[in-house]
Amino acid sequence: MSVVDYSQELSVVEGKPPLRSLDDLIAKPLEVKPDRKFYIALSVTLSMLGLFVIGLALTFWYGIGMWGNNNPVGWAFDIVNFVFWVGIGHAGTLISAILFLFRQKWRTGIARFAEGMTIFAVMTALLFPLIHVGRPWLDGWLLPYPNQHGVWTNFTSPLLWDVFAVSTYFAVSLIFWYVGLIPDFGSLRERATGKFKKIIYSTFSLGWRFSNRHWHHYEMVYLILAGFATPLVLSVHTIVSFDFAVSIIPGWHTTIFPPYFVAGAVFSGFAMVQNVLIAVRKIFNYEHIITVDTLEKMNKIMLVTGSMVGYAYAMEFFIAWYSGVQAETFTFFNRALGPYAWAYWIMVTCNVISPQLFWVKKIRRSVPVMFVIAIFVNVGMWFERFVIVVTSLSRDFLPSSWAYYTPTYVDFMILIGSFGFFFTWILLFTKALPVVSMAEVKAVVDGSQPSHEDH
Amino acid sequence: MNNSDKIKDDNKSYWKSLKAYDNDPEVLKLKQNEFVDGVTDEFKSSQLPDISRRKFLALLSASAALTATACTDYRDKGEIVPYNKRPENVSPGTANFYASTCNGCSQACGIIVKTREGRPIKIDGNTDHPINKGKICAKGQASILNLYDPERLNNPTYNKRKIDWSDADSNIIDALNKSQTDGKQIAIVTGAIVSPTIKKVFDTFTAKYNNTKIYSYDLLNDAIRRDAWFECYGSNDYPSIKWNEPNIILALDSDFLGSEGNYIENMNLFTQKRETLSKLDFNRLYAAEGRMSVTGSLADYRLRIPPDQQYDFVMALTNELLKKGSAISINSQVQAKVQKFSLNKFERTVGKEKLTHLVEDLNANRGKSIIHAGDTLSKDVHIAVNLLNEILGNTQIYDYKKTFKTVLPGSTKGDFKQLIASMNNDGVGVVIHFDSNPVFTLAGDFGYTSALKKVETIVALTESENETSSVAHYTLPINNQLENWGDAYVRGGVYSLQQPVISPVFNTRQKEAVLLTWINGKTNSYSHNIYHNFLMDNFNTEIYPRKKPFSDQKTFWLSALHDGVVTLDENIQPSKEINTSALLNTNESLSNGFVLHLTNSYYLSDGKFANNGWLQELPHPITKVAWDNYAAVSPNTAKEISVENNDLVEVNINGRNLTLPALVQPGMSDKTINIELGYGRKVCGDVGKDVGSNSIKLISKDSSISPFIYSNASIKKSSGTHKLVTTQEHHSLDDTFVKDFHRIRNIIQEGTVNKYKNDSNFLHHEKHEVFSITNEHEYNGMKWAMAIDLNKCTNCSVCISSCNVENNIPVVGKPQVERGREMQWMRIDRYYSGTPDEPIVSNQPMLCQHCDNAPCENVCPVNATNHSPDGLNQMVYNRCVGTRYCSNNCPYKVRRYNFFDYRDEFADAYYENDLTALVNNPEVTVRSRGVMEKCTFCVQRIMEARSNAIRDGRELKGSDVVTACQQACPTNAIVFGNANDPESPVAKLRDLNLAYHVLEELNIKPNVTYIAKLRNTHSEEIA
Repeated sequence: MSVVDYSQELSVVEGKPPLRSLDDLIAKPLEVKPDRKFYIALSVTLSMLGLFVIGLALTFWYGIGMWGNNNPVGWAFDIVNFVFWVGIGHAGTLISAILFLFRQKWRTGIARFAEGMTIFAVMTALLFPLIHVGRPWLDGWLLPYPNQHGVWTNFTSPLLWDVFAVSTYFAVSLIFWYVGLIPDFGSLRERATGKFKKIIYSTFSLGWRFSNRHWHHYEMVYLILAGFATPLVLSVHTIVSFDFAVSIIPGWHTTIFPPYFVAGAVFSGFAMVQNVLIAVRKIFNYEHIITVDTLEKMNKIMLVTGSMVGYAYAMEFFIAWYSGVQAETFTFFNRALGPYAWAYWIMVTCNVISPQLFWVKKIRRSVPVMFVIAIFVNVGMWFERFVIVVTSLSRDFLPSSWAYYTPTYVDFMILIGSFGFFFTWILLFTKALPVVSMAEVKAVVDGSQPSHEDH
Repeated sequence: MNNSDKIKDDNKSYWKSLKAYDNDPEVLKLKQNEFVDGVTDEFKSSQLPDISRRKFLALLSASAALTATACTDYRDKGEIVPYNKRPENVSPGTANFYASTCNGCSQACGIIVKTREGRPIKIDGNTDHPINKGKICAKGQASILNLYDPERLNNPTYNKRKIDWSDADSNIIDALNKSQTDGKQIAIVTGAIVSPTIKKVFDTFTAKYNNTKIYSYDLLNDAIRRDAWFECYGSNDYPSIKWNEPNIILALDSDFLGSEGNYIENMNLFTQKRETLSKLDFNRLYAAEGRMSVTGSLADYRLRIPPDQQYDFVMALTNELLKKGSAISINSQVQAKVQKFSLNKFERTVGKEKLTHLVEDLNANRGKSIIHAGDTLSKDVHIAVNLLNEILGNTQIYDYKKTFKTVLPGSTKGDFKQLIASMNNDGVGVVIHFDSNPVFTLAGDFGYTSALKKVETIVALTESENETSSVAHYTLPINNQLENWGDAYVRGGVYSLQQPVISPVFNTRQKEAVLLTWINGKTNSYSHNIYHNFLMDNFNTEIYPRKKPFSDQKTFWLSALHDGVVTLDENIQPSKEINTSALLNTNESLSNGFVLHLTNSYYLSDGKFANNGWLQELPHPITKVAWDNYAAVSPNTAKEISVENNDLVEVNINGRNLTLPALVQPGMSDKTINIELGYGRKVCGDVGKDVGSNSIKLISKDSSISPFIYSNASIKKSSGTHKLVTTQEHHSLDDTFVKDFHRIRNIIQEGTVNKYKNDSNFLHHEKHEVFSITNEHEYNGMKWAMAIDLNKCTNCSVCISSCNVENNIPVVGKPQVERGREMQWMRIDRYYSGTPDEPIVSNQPMLCQHCDNAPCENVCPVNATNHSPDGLNQMVYNRCVGTRYCSNNCPYKVRRYNFFDYRDEFADAYYENDLTALVNNPEVTVRSRGVMEKCTFCVQRIMEARSNAIRDGRELKGSDVVTACQQACPTNAIVFGNANDPESPVAKLRDLNLAYHVLEELNIKPNVTYIAKLRNTHSEEIA
């Protein structure tokens, strides 16, 4: 492990590689036939996806009763998974848009992949609102459209805001991602040998000719889109948190939720991106592009957001006590000491305690350790949503209606299946598109830009 | 000029082209020959394909038809056939109501059956009936489902093979005659008989076959009370109690408000002294019991006394009160006997203060109090109680006008022992089970089942297969009560009639008609109205002359049928002087070890309602357990034998044992085991089979105290568990973490009579002003609202049962209840406070509160739940996509979600058959899966009332609408109406000082007002 001098700006790409070699390296996975490992990985994710399909088939055929949801606990794994995946989808746009606006060059190595994960995570998340309803064939009714019944959607429902927020976020993220891909499509078109590939890349490159004008327009569009996407990063999870905050159930009805949810989302998103990127840089030999320095920076963000989340947990307790509302106070004591205390303490251990290890530089820069911690964070953030959704519902106002929730095998099939869905897309992505932005990486290699130092 | 010339001329005068004008020959030629050669010449029919025109058309139409049908998804869902000849008095869409009598138990309450298009859909009480006054119990409400039970027998069988009625009749008549000639006994084993006409049928039967003996037996009966009364007063008919009169009531293990006697009548009378709206004249209820009964849970003071010590307790009490005087003279022998008992023994468990209060109250209210012993207590206790009431001069509380009559006295243990001995000696030729199930309900050690094997011909007349019919040779299916004619005479001066409201659904016969056929001796003598005529004849000879009406017989009969009840003037015969020496033969109770108390199940009767899913799923009023019975023990005893809820325990009495799950019941006396009867049916339909454990096994024919109480029981933990499911999660009473939440959160607000008298506004002292930051919707016209008086709610659950029937609530089954998915729109929450030994029980019916600011409404993304201008929180099933968000956001959790298609979820689509679907109320949508539902305030009844008002051209009034729960509530605790009408009862209750809303501080403005319960204790604190 090298000694890092934080007083100097670190090179984003290590070792000053020739620009052509970067092109070759990044384009390589797209140009060689998938190997055995890829197929093994794909078969694993497809098997998980198969569980998803079976779980959904059972649910659609028999009803939501196949899940563990019961009378007080109307939402459980379904909404937990939804919020979890929306949260995962937060890192991408944050990295590509907000860090772009802040001129954080280290983002270039990871931005493309993080954005891709955003798209897939939001796709996964979007499945849950569609499947959690009792009559999924009527999902279309959640969209406002003029109809012969003269019935409109209910614009006061946070669930409807969700529909708009998440679909907007998905659309903007997708456009942003695609715009960023255009120069790379151009490069790929030039490199493509097969006729079929050439047609596809030509089509998607939208006539990109690397001209100065194109670059100029491209940079402007990218900047505008980044500006456009930035508020969305904050708004999506804010609105998702409204699902809870706007309700009147103790443990849900909390004004701290919007910032707390956003911080949590960034936290979990970074953890997931870090996890996947560690695998990617290893498999595709991108260690010098996705450097330990970059990973360390991500860990720092996790440390910050993890601490914010920890602060929120503490503040929730304080406010619950300070409010003097018995039901509210009880809900929080019940989380820590009640029947779901196990879930609460898993959450606290994973989310509050484990990221604190990142204060130690050695840990922050050790790839295996940070990998484990990020997994902990992901687990913890899933449990955070579980704690919020399930414990609040299971013991609300009237003690007579309290009940314990236990998930069924179908719940687990769908949970595992959602990972299958997500990772299948990730695998296909690594074989279909450059997982690192060729254009941007080349721009940040040491010496690629005109410098004043020599003059 | 002829026509053709004219055309020629026209041809000349009009021209189409210059060529035509010039009369070009080519044009002329064309004109001559319009059909040019070569067009028609080329047509040769031989060249056409050899498909005929006919065939072409056939193919064309066939393919068109195929295309048309293939493109629809129409499935043939059976036929809907309109009336081609409309039955009299039936207009589609309008309900018809018929008065009748309930056969559910021997109380024979008057009922009104609602029918739609000829099918019965709801049973309610008959308001003209002087005893039950328009109310019936939960069993009566749910019994409509029995008519549509898919497992009803639909053909006679001989050794399980189908036979014709005529063959069965002729074979049995032969057997009867053979038995008669052989000099063998013919035994008719029946349940309790309350019908004078059935008695007459039996008499006629006995006259024809004079070797016949009638055995009448009911597992649950008032035989002990009757015997004791007989010993004290020499009469079999004992008076009822004017429950609305005494100031002090002491119930000794008497569940008179929950399951004993006519508890519907009792609770109605009892709660008349729990009225808060008018003057505050409360009675005070002391309950001395070992188990936790409904009556005990309602008591102002509850004294934990095990059932085998009740005798000592009542004697000690007598001793104490006798010292202070007596209304009758007591001889020295009796006095000496009484003096041996002292209350000191009970001070430790009951507490001195309570005992002092009790003695003082009884002493101060001589003549205005009553002591009542339970049906299960020994005869000795009943005799002692009768004497104590005499000493206190409480006889004026007895209601001799409504005496409990005896139509056919129940058989004694001795009778049955003789019958069984006779069977074993081959002395019985035929046994006819007249709608009875003695194989299940008789104590096992009688050996009835094995004795039956010696009988040549066993006949079972039954509605559905049961334990007795499974060992019978002939199983003859009988009518449901709604297909029957009948009458009943249970109470002095009240004669009620039963009429069929539907013709038999299956190939069944009225059980009395079957006997009449056998009496006649010819199989062809049967006709469907044979018993109808018999009943009418009896009515004309017995009732008509007594009533001496001005109308002729037929008119009087029809008017009696219309009313369902005839009141007769009878001589009121107050009892003679009490035979005080009856007390001398009574014995002190001995208790060693555990005492077992077997009690009535609240909803299954003696097991006859086991196959009724609505009743199995109705939660127990105290424990909230559904679909099971259990051994209830006190928390201390549970610790002693180290068991927890659901642990299997083995209960043993003299070698008779039963293994069943335990349930820790706060408030029970220690070393007492309470098990309910009627569960554990083995031969039954799919619903009731193997539900719970058969505790009748523990009953002995040689019981010393009473058949229901055994003081030499033992209990030990067995291996394994059996999951009991409850509709309300159990919270440990001593868990400080969640203790008394219902009080802390003001869900239950209670006070005492004294507190209320001193400070009528006591509920509202700590209230904050709640205000809205937005303008709220105004309700200027009607505004529907409900008020529930918790002083009157006895936890009887009739409201739930009535709601189930009215609103087509499905049965979901035990596994779904375990998952917390029961569908009942109404529930009665039960909360404990105090200590596990001396808990205070609070009840609260909970249903949709129809909040003005309903939190469920703003979160529904598709507007499926919204508010009506008259204040109803509406649910549009068709629009609901099932996000469950509304349910999550409901602070009362009163919304119910169709997690499955609950029409076919229960027991492999048990209730999804052509028959059971007929029970549905056609005015209420049957909900599909994935849809949220909840209480609608019976919107279908509101709409009906509204359209009636519009039809009559008058304004709709709040009193025009009666919800199903309100209609059913035996104590009228539920009041419904227009909150904006200041004169309406509901508005008055809303303004009462005792009125409160649950979770008021959320400012959601619920429209169900609760009237705080006042406990009539001596202090200002709740005991």
